[in-house]
Amino acid sequence: MNRAIRRLSLACLVLFVALMLNVNYLQVFRVNTLASEAGNSRTFDAQFHNQRGEIVAAGGPGKQVIIAESRLIKGGIYQRYYPHSYVYAPVTGYDSIYGSTSAFGTTGIEHAENNLLAGTAPSLAVHNLIGLISGKSRQGATVYLTISPAAQLAAYQALTAMGKPAAAVAINPSTGAILAMASFPTFNPNDYATLDSRTLARIDNRYRRAASQPLLNRAINQTFPPGSTFKIVTSSTAFSTGKVANENAPIPAPQFYHLPGSSSVLTNDGGAPCGNGNPPIVFAFTVSCNTAFGKLGDTVGGAALHQYANLFGFNNPNLTIPLPVSPSNYPPLKDPAQIALSAIGQFNDAVTPLQEAMMAAAMANGGKLMRPYMVSEVQAPDLSVISQTQPAELQQVVSPQVAAYVRTMMLSVTHNPSGTAYATAGPPATGIAIAGKTGTAQNGVNNTNLDDAVFTCFAPYSNPTIAVAVIVKGGGFGADAAAPIALKIIQAYLGQH
Amino acid sequence: MTALPSAAATMPPRGGLPVAMPRGRRGTELAMLCFAVVIMACAYASAGLGLNGHIPSGLIVYAPGFAVLMAAAHVTVRKFAPWADPLLLPLAALLNGLGIVMIYRLQQSGRAGNPGFQISTLTTHAASYQLLWTVIGVAAFIAVLIVIREARVLQRYTYTLGTIGLILLAIPAVLPSSLSSVQGAKVWILLGGFSIQPGEFARIALAVFFAGYLVAKRDVLSLAGRRVLGIDLPRARDLGPVLVVWAASLLILVFESDIGTSALFFGLFVAMLYIATQRTSWLLLGILLFLAGSYGASVLFSHVGERFTIWLHPFAGTNPTDAAYQLVQGLEGMAFGGIFGTGLGQGQPFHTPLVQSDFIISGFGEELGLTGLMALLLIFGLIVQRGLRAAVAVRDPFSKLLAGGLAFVLALQVFVIVGGVTQLIPLTGITTPFLSQGGSSLVASWIVIALLMRVSDSARRPAPQPIQDEGLTQVVRAG
Repeated sequence: MNRAIRRLSLACLVLFVALMLNVNYLQVFRVNTLASEAGNSRTFDAQFHNQRGEIVAAGGPGKQVIIAESRLIKGGIYQRYYPHSYVYAPVTGYDSIYGSTSAFGTTGIEHAENNLLAGTAPSLAVHNLIGLISGKSRQGATVYLTISPAAQLAAYQALTAMGKPAAAVAINPSTGAILAMASFPTFNPNDYATLDSRTLARIDNRYRRAASQPLLNRAINQTFPPGSTFKIVTSSTAFSTGKVANENAPIPAPQFYHLPGSSSVLTNDGGAPCGNGNPPIVFAFTVSCNTAFGKLGDTVGGAALHQYANLFGFNNPNLTIPLPVSPSNYPPLKDPAQIALSAIGQFNDAVTPLQEAMMAAAMANGGKLMRPYMVSEVQAPDLSVISQTQPAELQQVVSPQVAAYVRTMMLSVTHNPSGTAYATAGPPATGIAIAGKTGTAQNGVNNTNLDDAVFTCFAPYSNPTIAVAVIVKGGGFGADAAAPIALKIIQAYLGQH
Repeated sequence: MTALPSAAATMPPRGGLPVAMPRGRRGTELAMLCFAVVIMACAYASAGLGLNGHIPSGLIVYAPGFAVLMAAAHVTVRKFAPWADPLLLPLAALLNGLGIVMIYRLQQSGRAGNPGFQISTLTTHAASYQLLWTVIGVAAFIAVLIVIREARVLQRYTYTLGTIGLILLAIPAVLPSSLSSVQGAKVWILLGGFSIQPGEFARIALAVFFAGYLVAKRDVLSLAGRRVLGIDLPRARDLGPVLVVWAASLLILVFESDIGTSALFFGLFVAMLYIATQRTSWLLLGILLFLAGSYGASVLFSHVGERFTIWLHPFAGTNPTDAAYQLVQGLEGMAFGGIFGTGLGQGQPFHTPLVQSDFIISGFGEELGLTGLMALLLIFGLIVQRGLRAAVAVRDPFSKLLAGGLAFVLALQVFVIVGGVTQLIPLTGITTPFLSQGGSSLVASWIVIALLMRVSDSARRPAPQPIQDEGLTQVVRAG
């Protein structure tokens, strides 16, 4: 009988080994999955005892600013606090008490960097282990952002003063670092930091039902018609494909342009003629002739426009900064009338303010488009660096030569007295050499809505350090509504008034 | 001659080969028992410190009380089973002690200003009752060692115990639900404030019955019979009674909605049949029957099928808040504990329903972590191993079968409940030996340890020393 007992003892060994392996799998490898399981009451409780990491706006110039922190309140419980309430809301998003147990409990950087801020990221495992042995509660990592406190505050104040739904984005053209990201109307993330679930439900309900959509981050998650700012793409395509030699080459610009294959007629603003009917492209760009660029769009063709729009960053559903960015839309077109309209930023063209800023930034950076990003560095609680973002090139959109042509044209918009933004972003308004492009986009059924005002620019012209895009919904003329806001952001960032 | 250990080599051999004198190792047992009591006391203090920052006042009652009990057990072993395995008693004591500590910790949750919320199924006296049950358990341990001097005397009561076992099993099924049903499992006898799970004792009685019956019939079972499809089938008249007992116990269990226990009876039966006949074909047939039975049950009975669903998809749909709530809470608790655990009194095991009984392992996993669970599993594994070792060493076939069966069913019980709680296998609610709250399980576990120690005492007892005749005769020890 001993042979059978020995075999049974082997069977017992197998049973116990299976249990031990499974327990190891459960308590080592499944820890994070189970901790982030929806409705995990332990994670829910634990978050109050763990110090969530800070979010710091560290993009200069001047001092870094803490924009989200966890403060110890009574009974060893931490509560999230946003010292600047509304100003950084589109950047930080919010962290609610459901942050660790529901995918909808966080937004913004709080959502995108949740694992690091909460301290549950695998890269913090060793640090957590040391904390566990020394008996300290878990501390999250600090997330440093490229956001410039000066530019962000200026953007927030200018948008709020304007009082219309609007968004502004500023980028460092040579790195892609996002310097400011503002959206109006916005929300107070402190409202979401309440520890009372009923208060939270009431506040959340109120925000979500508000017609003004304060939770919507218009800078990256809403698209607008680009209007005439799309002429940057059309010009770039024309230069790059050799259809137009340089910025001084003349292009045909009829006073009335009959859209090919259509009964519609395209006119310029107020039905005015465009120069002598065959002006240099820089002139057409400066005064923003629709007929010239509509015809130019037909000349370069839908396929080329689509190709260059993609290079500029359109139609990319996968861009994250690390917040997910809604794709800007430029569809591939076959119909010549539609192509002509799309070449001046109408038809189905749609851009996010971030995409607008990327267009100006690519031109400012010699045609090289950098990947936009917002997190510069992540530090563990012991101040060791966990990750650091290196600027990365998305793609070379156009050659440096073509970029130089477009830059010259953009400077003319603000510096030629007949330019559309001469009065609001040119020498009469500021000593800073800003180069930009205005857009006044018709929208709504039969263009019945108020025009959206768009302005995209970079500065200083000779050595660009900031590219800014502003879109004001229903703002009217781009030069009047959007350009002054961009100017304020640039002045704040460059420290000049 | 093989190489001898150096110490022995220095001793000049006298009168032939040196023979290592077998030793009882009672001193080792005492030392390890002290260690177990100290661990229990430290864990108790640690739980109090974790809960509210000071050492619980109950320590001066619980720790010495526990120590006295274990001392009584040890003295009994010294007197009545001096050759018994020295590991079994300290291992059982350690498990029992940790169980009391965990129940104390759970009972304190949400009471007397401690963090967490009250577990509604636990009274303020749960830990005291558990200690009281430990007294009864150790008394049963002592009684078994005193009354049963040789395990094989039980063979005389084969059919008596078989009948008692069946009656014990049947009582809750016959009793009205008000006297027998707790949380859907109709396995209790409820008398006043007192509750007994007769199935825990039935298992031991039936193990004795199986051992006695199989010893008497094992030659016929393994030799006679026809060969069908490569499997040697015994004659129906030989196997009849065993099959009847087994089928009856299964039927009763199905009516009592206790799948876990019926799995244990099945495992006990198949394992003992295998030890008796040494036929692998029986083992395979048993496993096949079991798998077919589980599948059939999952199709036929909705509550069995639901367990499979919970096991495979605990996080699907509304399962985490509904059907799989207990499992999910247990899993999340163990994950929360991680490698080192939160420390006794510092986790949140109170989220898990019935954490004091079926899910006590998840409570240990949460507060003592992976480290604690591995230690507990090793302790269980060691008890099983020492039991099987006694079965191998003992010469009497009845004791062999009994010890082998009891040790194996202990392993199976740990596997079924720990595997269920950790999502290795579908969850079936049975007690964790020595740890779970509840007297019947604890007392039955102590009886099993007593029987295993009785068998190991027989196995390790030296053969009577014949009077040596001045080197004329030489004792040749059978290996």
